[in-house]
Amino acid sequence: MTAISAAGLTKRYGRVAAVEDVSFDITEGEIVGFLGPNGAGKTTTLRLLAGLIHPTQGTSQILGRPVPGSGLLEVGTMIEEPSFYPYLTGRANLKHASLLHGGVSENRIDEVLEFVRMEQASNKKVAAYSQGMRQRLGLARALLWRPRVLLLDEPTNGLDPVGIAEIRENLRMIAREGVTILISSHILAEIEKVVERILAIDKGKLRFDGPLQQLLQRLDAQTLSYRLAATDHEALNRALRTLGYTPEPVDDRFVRVTVPTAEASRLLSQLIEHQVEILEARREADTLEGAYLRLVEEDGRPS
Amino acid sequence: MNATVNVIRAELFKALRKRRTYILAALQWVLLPVLVLIAGRVVQVNVSGSFVDEGELVDTIIQVIASPFGIARLSLMGPSYVSPTFYMIVIALFAALLIGEEKSQNMWKTALVAQPNRLAVLGGKFVVAMTLYAAFLLGAYLSSILFGAIGMVFLPTNFTGEWGALLGLYALQWLHGAAAFMFAFLMIFLARNIALGIVMVFFLPALLEGLYTVYRTAIGFQPLNRLNVIFQALRLRTTLEELPRYFFTYNQYAPARSPTFELVTALGGDAAGSDFGPFSNFLGAGITLSHATLVMAGYAVFFGALLTWLFLRRDVQ
Repeated sequence: MTAISAAGLTKRYGRVAAVEDVSFDITEGEIVGFLGPNGAGKTTTLRLLAGLIHPTQGTSQILGRPVPGSGLLEVGTMIEEPSFYPYLTGRANLKHASLLHGGVSENRIDEVLEFVRMEQASNKKVAAYSQGMRQRLGLARALLWRPRVLLLDEPTNGLDPVGIAEIRENLRMIAREGVTILISSHILAEIEKVVERILAIDKGKLRFDGPLQQLLQRLDAQTLSYRLAATDHEALNRALRTLGYTPEPVDDRFVRVTVPTAEASRLLSQLIEHQVEILEARREADTLEGAYLRLVEEDGRPS
Repeated sequence: MNATVNVIRAELFKALRKRRTYILAALQWVLLPVLVLIAGRVVQVNVSGSFVDEGELVDTIIQVIASPFGIARLSLMGPSYVSPTFYMIVIALFAALLIGEEKSQNMWKTALVAQPNRLAVLGGKFVVAMTLYAAFLLGAYLSSILFGAIGMVFLPTNFTGEWGALLGLYALQWLHGAAAFMFAFLMIFLARNIALGIVMVFFLPALLEGLYTVYRTAIGFQPLNRLNVIFQALRLRTTLEELPRYFFTYNQYAPARSPTFELVTALGGDAAGSDFGPFSNFLGAGITLSHATLVMAGYAVFFGALLTWLFLRRDVQ
């Protein structure tokens, strides 16, 4: 069964098209990454699917029912930074949402709080929560009524690496229960371990719809970025320039260098040949502002 | 229907956890009766037995203002004579709590996902607003009885009074709140900003009505002058002269202000024979309660229809 369906979805603000003619179908149980740089139209699309804004053209459906409509009662969302009533406790915020939706027991509130490891802090007022706690509480609220569809917009925004790993693990557990998840991010590395399929959007238009592996191959087929540190910073810069690369300073210690994928495996040995003593070499997470945009610019049309 | 009930339960849950709800209730339920009792005591101590106290004059005055019935009557009238009226302050603040916070706290994206039936969301919020307002007014009525009874310990007062009729006026004042809430919801939703919305609720009707009054006082509709020639040609003169009968504020507070003349008479004034001129409407004269209720029903339908149309159509962030 199709869980989420968009057909020619368009949203214009005056003459500016935030989303233009976006169409896709997501089958029930699929976990789909929604990728695109900031301002690409991800959040607008999610808002359209959640019935918060009305399309200028096109339609969408959730579980076969038109949006807006009763299908939305089966949807949990976390769109942008989760917001709460600051004068209520975390638990009271969940209680309010559960009353609003209906059919949610007190036990379920305990369950979701336990799931996101927020039982201890749940009786504190939300005004005192950290960004990470708010993010986790937002996920708990999205799960309150056991939604069959989850729309998550940058759920790891502002989280530290531990928090990101926790959210990622939570999503894997939710996915195992058969929940359909559409998760947006502008950082490929954040979601590549969770999703199976990618929808990529840029300037409001859908540029890519296919398996994650296909996108990764296309990105890898071009360039990779590394962060390098050496005992002699200047020698490292000189060697990179000699080899024909352009080192970009990151800080006093690291430089970033982008190399064609085919040459990546030879990079370290070439530096050693130039008498550069490498202390650290890290492959950088490919951000969509970088790698994906290169793909789009070179490709220029949807796949 | 279930969706509306869900919204009512959720919004009551929220409102009862907001300190503002209790502060407003305390101001009306406790502060006003206490002030009236203090005033009654001051009159008793300072005027009783003095040269102005002929016969039972002071006892009568104290009965009129500080008896249980007197306090209940003042609790209904008093809030309608401050500016902005305490009724409008209460209505604006409840409206801000129920429909303004979603914008200021960025909560629409949560509320309308938890309950996507927008008509139910709006209907539920309106029911909660009216419920809180009913509790506010009923509490004022009941607290007057309580504080009035306490006052009977040290003041020469008793329970005499037209309690049933007064309760009817309270109920009518509550009913008139429907139009005021529709207006307040509309302004706050329209403004997308609580502070601006509240300012509009407080001052927009007064501003429009004030401009009319200035025009009427300074120029008037009677003489055929350059400004009035258009109205005269359009045969609008009579309509414009009659306009104050349809003003929002005059009609809204008609039930609360209707005991004014009764009170003035009870205190020895000659209200019935006086001509208050432009203040007649302000004092609750010149319009009947049935007229006022019909006018407010019209406002409720107009503001309600506009609000519903906007609420169903508007994109929320």
